[in-house]
Amino acid sequence: MTRPVASEAATGLRHRAEAEASALPPLLVQARHLAGSVLMGEHGRRRAGTGDDFWQYRPAQAGDSRRMIDHRRSARGDIQFVREREWQISQTVHLWVDTGASMRFASSPELPQKAERARLLALAASVLMVQGGERVGLTGGSLPPRRGNVQILRLAEALSDDEEQDYAPPNDRALIPHARALFISDFLGPSEPMEQALSKAAARGVRGVLLQVLDPAEEAFPFSGRTLFESINGGVTHETLKASALQERYLDRLAERRTVLERLCREAGWRFGQHHTGDPAQTALMWLYHALERTAP
Amino acid sequence: MTMIAGIGFSAPWLLLGLLALPVLWLLLRAVPPAPKRQPFPAVTLLLGLKDDESLSDRTPWWLLLLRMLAVAAAIIGLAGPVLNPSTEETGGRGPLLIVMDASWGGAAGWKQTSAQAAAQLEEAGRAERPVALLRLSAPEMLQFRAASDWQRQLAGLAPLPWQPGPDQLQQALAAIDGAEGGFDTIWFSDGLEYQGREGLIEALGRRGDIEVYEQPLPVLGLLPASYSGGAIELTVQRSRAGPAQEVSVVAQGKDPGGTARSLTALPLRFADGARTASAELSLPAELRARLSRFEIRDMKSAGAVALTDDSLRRREVALVSSESADEGLALLSPLHYLRQALAPSAELLEGALEDLLPANPDVIVLADVARLAPAQEEAVIEWVENGGLLLRFAGPRLAASDTARSGEEPLMPVRLRIGGRSIGGAMSWGEPKTLAPFAEGSPFYGLEVPGEVSISSQVVAQPDPQLADRVIAELADGTPLVTRKSLGQGQVVLFHVTSNAEWSSLPLSGLFVSMLERLAVSSSAAAPQAEDLEGTTWSPVEVLDGFGRLTAAETLPGVKGPDLVAAPAGPELRPGVYNGGRRMLARNVLRPGDELQAARWPASVAVSGYGAPQELPLGGALLTLALMLLAADVLGTLAISGLLGGARTAALAAALGLAAWAAPQGLQAQGTPAPEDFRAAELASELVLAHVLTGEREVDRIAAAGLRGLTETLYFRTSVEPAAPAAVDLERDELAFYPLLYWPVTRDQPLPSSQAYGKLNAYLRAGGMILFDTRDGDLAASGATSPAARRLQQIALPLDIPPLEVLPEDHVLTRAFYLLQAFPGRHSRGPVWVEAAPPDAEQAEGIPFRNLNDGVTPVVIGGNDWAAAWAVDGNGRPLLPVGRGYAGERQRELAFRFGVNLVMHVLTGNYKSDQVHVPALLDRLGQ
Repeated sequence: MTRPVASEAATGLRHRAEAEASALPPLLVQARHLAGSVLMGEHGRRRAGTGDDFWQYRPAQAGDSRRMIDHRRSARGDIQFVREREWQISQTVHLWVDTGASMRFASSPELPQKAERARLLALAASVLMVQGGERVGLTGGSLPPRRGNVQILRLAEALSDDEEQDYAPPNDRALIPHARALFISDFLGPSEPMEQALSKAAARGVRGVLLQVLDPAEEAFPFSGRTLFESINGGVTHETLKASALQERYLDRLAERRTVLERLCREAGWRFGQHHTGDPAQTALMWLYHALERTAP
Repeated sequence: MTMIAGIGFSAPWLLLGLLALPVLWLLLRAVPPAPKRQPFPAVTLLLGLKDDESLSDRTPWWLLLLRMLAVAAAIIGLAGPVLNPSTEETGGRGPLLIVMDASWGGAAGWKQTSAQAAAQLEEAGRAERPVALLRLSAPEMLQFRAASDWQRQLAGLAPLPWQPGPDQLQQALAAIDGAEGGFDTIWFSDGLEYQGREGLIEALGRRGDIEVYEQPLPVLGLLPASYSGGAIELTVQRSRAGPAQEVSVVAQGKDPGGTARSLTALPLRFADGARTASAELSLPAELRARLSRFEIRDMKSAGAVALTDDSLRRREVALVSSESADEGLALLSPLHYLRQALAPSAELLEGALEDLLPANPDVIVLADVARLAPAQEEAVIEWVENGGLLLRFAGPRLAASDTARSGEEPLMPVRLRIGGRSIGGAMSWGEPKTLAPFAEGSPFYGLEVPGEVSISSQVVAQPDPQLADRVIAELADGTPLVTRKSLGQGQVVLFHVTSNAEWSSLPLSGLFVSMLERLAVSSSAAAPQAEDLEGTTWSPVEVLDGFGRLTAAETLPGVKGPDLVAAPAGPELRPGVYNGGRRMLARNVLRPGDELQAARWPASVAVSGYGAPQELPLGGALLTLALMLLAADVLGTLAISGLLGGARTAALAAALGLAAWAAPQGLQAQGTPAPEDFRAAELASELVLAHVLTGEREVDRIAAAGLRGLTETLYFRTSVEPAAPAAVDLERDELAFYPLLYWPVTRDQPLPSSQAYGKLNAYLRAGGMILFDTRDGDLAASGATSPAARRLQQIALPLDIPPLEVLPEDHVLTRAFYLLQAFPGRHSRGPVWVEAAPPDAEQAEGIPFRNLNDGVTPVVIGGNDWAAAWAVDGNGRPLLPVGRGYAGERQRELAFRFGVNLVMHVLTGNYKSDQVHVPALLDRLGQ
């Protein structure tokens, strides 16, 4: 049926967008749910200032406005008290989540794709950090760090994009000096861009966390027989007559890659972590949270 | 045929192909399986890794074995293996004649007979003997043909529901005489003796050897059921006396819902050495009336079926009383006790006599009816003379009238004295009278007379010479209570008391029911004799086939009455149900008194039973096995290539299994859906506005453009996103897909056909809406009627249109999407008519509109030429000017808003109207 009114393409795009958008709230909900399981609120300045947490009561002094008097405390005695809160400052966190095609892989239908898990973790961490008053954004300047709940929505939207290329290089532009960073990827692509990104970040005083997300199949290599391995886009292929014979050498290479990454992190003052899509996301989020805490300057 | 290990092969040389299997093994082994493709992001880590030279994967051994087995099975299957090949070849070399009795007697074992005959044909085919086949129940000229010809026809042969009679044997002898040369005979006998068999044996014996196959079990036959003494008598015969045996006879009939089912079963027992077994079956009249046939359980044979006819059937009784129906006096109604007594065992008809007579009831009851109109009386007399039973009851009216006073009347058995008499009342002497025992010869003879039955009033018969013959029940003092006379083939019976309890307590007693039953039974004809049916012709309604199934008689010729009873069944007289005008007669295979005789064969003839293991060709099974193995091979190959998931494997395996099973059954043609279906699916999946084609091109063009404009407006402003509008031809197109039809009315529009009106009415009833637009709003506003409006009146006349009113201010259309009070199109002043609100619509308190909750108006009628205001061209620009300047554009906007409201109203119904309840709901929630 011809449609004179609006082009088929526009309708299709909107339908797809709606379908995509309908997937977003679950992601958000999941992320918030995940984040809710981790307690928030540290890195206070240990002194009175602007913040949410109670710091101390002090007697009211001349110059304090009457609004500041805490009547609940003051009613217990004759002296009027002022309630002070802890001074908390916010940090800036840059996120980079690999959106390359290699992340869209799950070895069995029961497992989530690596990209899904990476997004979930990134978003959950963002929720935590935004709740903690931090500013969160993406690297590359496409979504500058901001605070507030709306930023979560923007992040969710931005993270939903997919890239066509197999192995996306990390985006290291527009890093704010002395900020923190979180890079989530499978780090299976070429390692040079990674090295460059880390050295650049280290030069700017940015410290952070690398989280490698892998599928259990990538960790175990449970293949045998004549097999043609190909990357998700089919750009890279490798054929073998007996896959089981490759397992040992593959695992060696994987370990080697991990060692390289760990060395890079050590040199740059970053922390390196691993996560498998077969494991619950919660543990990864806990680790991520504490790792981010510890990299705080 | 070559024998290897007990299995014969028709093409043994093919087995040499098995020698090629090892070569195949080597070949298949050298070819490795195809690689499986594995998406793997970490492939970058694999780049550059070399395979070990010595490690190349081979096809696994089990897959090779599977393939070998498949090929071996195919080779062996094609070599034509046969299990139990018949090794002893019969000596005969010449032509072969297969004779079959093919009567009902062999129907029960027809399957075995057929199989045995097939085996004989097979053997004859291998020996290349020409074969002829002769069915004695329907003989034809002998044709010696190849056995394979007959094999194909064998399945179509069925036993016939009669025994070979003299005529058939004559034809069979002629056929045998007509054949040339000698031939051997194989005779499949049904085991029943019939006249003239010796001549046949002799004629066949002259030509060659005779071999007889006969079922070892005796043949059972069910004689027609007879009704006597309140019970149904059933008799089963067997052809040979044997040890004690028990058979079960099932009574089939209709249940109260009208479906055929087994009503009851009766076990019959043959004593040791007895040839007949009989038993009596007592059934309530109600059940008896519904019987249609008896059959011996698990015997599929025409002889094991006894059809029943009118003699056991439920009778129709017409009740007529002189009183008008008065609900208050049910127990005093003359018909009450009759109804109670007859309802369980008869079909009751009630009404006026002239309505009941054409239904031709079996019995007419006149309760206290003194006189009939002369025309009715004649009709009733004719009906009685044709065999009806007229049952009259006396009563005050009859006693007061002068019926049968001066002379005997045809519809009254006796003459009556004036006034009747009263006994035992307050004003009379004596006690109420009781009944005398029934005399022998009376139909009531044998009924117990209860002492409590007393008669206090009656009409009294005039003494007449015939009176004594006509009395069938009398009081203790000898006065007649029930009199009867016959009239033609029927009879007239008079009860000298009322049919209610006013004059006697007879209707209150069980005797009354028994008397009625006796009378009703005696009115049904007993089994007719041949001489009774002299000169009548009976046409078959349903006939039995050899297996005892009833089939429609279709064009079979009628049968003479005497033959129907007396003649043996044959091609001209098929057993079945026959119609003779007023009644139905059942003709069964066996007549009452028939006897079954076992066939006796002369000593010269060899008689053998059935037996011997049958040949079983194995080729088909082996080829199927090969096919299944290949299917398994497909699965295996896919599995080692990693192309199968668990669930998919199961599905594919199931599909392959099904395919292997279905392959020999033949492929079924896949019907491709017609193009209309595609169109329908398309229309049903989208919302499409439509306009009715008027035949005037310009009007249709504007309508299409108008709907395009409205569609676009809806698309951009609302969540309704219609597809491109459609044009509808009322005569051709299905309307059900369109929620809204825009119908511009023109002066010369042809009236729709009656089918189109049917469709339109169905459309309106199913919730569709038609917007009629006479496009004359400029004229109509000033009170003039335009030609288009007149045409609309003609068009709308046959439509189901409810009362209309001018669109009220509070109609849902004014607020379905936009708030509107005017509904302009290109014209702005014309009124708009919609379905009138129910008169009891109330204005809710505090709400500016009435409580109008139900229904979408099926029509909207106006003349504002909306399509013209909506019309846009392909680029979305308005086609026609509306109004003047900015005010015109405002009017166009309002026209669009009306369109949007209209579509919203169609799609959401009175959803907006429901909001009148919101305050009430809020109020309740507040509490």
